[in-house]
Amino acid sequence: MQENHLAKWLNNELSAEELSEFKNSEAYASFERIVAASGSLKGPDFDVDEALMAFRNKQTLQDPKVVQLRPYKRFLQVAAAVVILLVGSYFYVNSLDATIATQYAETKEIVLPDHSKVILNADSELSYSKKNWDANRNLNLKGEAFFKVAKGEKFTVATTDGTVSVLGTQFNVENRNDFFEVSCYEGLVSVSFNNKDYKLPAGSSFVVINGAITTTQKLDAESPSWMHSESSFKSVPLKYVFDEFQRQHNITVSTENIDTNQLYTGSFSNSDANLALQSISAPSQIKFKLEGNKVLFYAEN
Amino acid sequence: MKTENNDNICNDKVFSDIFKANSKTIFNYIYYKFGNEEKAHDAVQEAFVKLWENCAKVTPQKAKSFVYTVANNLYLNVIKAEKVRLKYADKTLKTTHETPEFIMEEGEFKIKLDNALNSLPENQRVTFLLNRIDGKKYKEIAEIEGVSVKAIEKRMHLALKSLREKIDGI
Repeated sequence: MQENHLAKWLNNELSAEELSEFKNSEAYASFERIVAASGSLKGPDFDVDEALMAFRNKQTLQDPKVVQLRPYKRFLQVAAAVVILLVGSYFYVNSLDATIATQYAETKEIVLPDHSKVILNADSELSYSKKNWDANRNLNLKGEAFFKVAKGEKFTVATTDGTVSVLGTQFNVENRNDFFEVSCYEGLVSVSFNNKDYKLPAGSSFVVINGAITTTQKLDAESPSWMHSESSFKSVPLKYVFDEFQRQHNITVSTENIDTNQLYTGSFSNSDANLALQSISAPSQIKFKLEGNKVLFYAEN
Repeated sequence: MKTENNDNICNDKVFSDIFKANSKTIFNYIYYKFGNEEKAHDAVQEAFVKLWENCAKVTPQKAKSFVYTVANNLYLNVIKAEKVRLKYADKTLKTTHETPEFIMEEGEFKIKLDNALNSLPENQRVTFLLNRIDGKKYKEIAEIEGVSVKAIEKRMHLALKSLREKIDGI
């Protein structure tokens, strides 16, 4: 008989021969009884519909949990947006040009990324790109500044009137209204003005007034006078002198019956306003009246 | 991506049908294994929660074996089975035209059967009861247990054999 004939028997898979043999065995009666009795057995009651309902209730009970997760999700969304904004603005600000400006009666000393030094005179503005500084040392200048350039690649100062480029040197650039002056104190400076290049050796300066190159003079100092709290002029129209006075002392200048194109040679103090007024008025033979923050220059009758 | 497709378990109707068709068998299956109704109830809930969570991934054809596998895995670490208490269907109790002697003998036999069932190895008891009480075919039991039909036939054979040995006191 087969190994699993009992299973086959239950499943009615025994052959007639095997069946009759099994029926004749003494154990057959017991097996039949067991099978009959076990067929009438019942497990614990199980209500399918009740279980399905319990399942559905559980599902709806679990729903609030999902809702509770949302504030956290929302927080993450906001946090992500903030991070993106911060990172974005960081890169944006980084890509912006750095700008340094001075007010009236103020000078500033700036160290550029390559350790070149710039001293910014009053009422001036300097801007440059921090990011690409090593690739191109380009500066934009409005006003006046003195440059002490570290050795390296081409160093360019662009102004509205002309461009100054150098290799390691010390020079002063002034560009106000129609006045453009470059003074070279050390090394060699190249000035490009109206598409023309001018080489400026140490000790010389390049002055443009009203679009005309007026003079290139010999410099007697080692650095511009304004760096020693003095403003000096050589054959410069009075109106530029008044402008400079106004910048250095933050005193508003007005004139009466004066030819402001009259040339002035001399210097005035940047620290003492009274002394400066006398320095300007005496050689030009004009008079002045100082009232608080205002000064009036007038002609002598 | 919920479609109103009838092939999708995420569809409420399809899911309910699967639940109705299989929950009782899962319940009994776990009960025969451990003799614990609470565990059996939990297994049903757990199996269908898992099925619902994975409704998009499980095809209706696979759903049956999926829920049995989950129910099975739930109590993998439970070793100790409690006593399986089975009731007897009313119909046998109503046969009162039998002699008192016969009824007494029948009662004794049932106690013996109960004890014999409880002393069966777990897999034999589960196979035997799924077949006798739930009327499951060997093939279905093989599917639930994840073994071959041959193995189920063997278990069935051994279960019957040892039941008879216990009852007849061989």
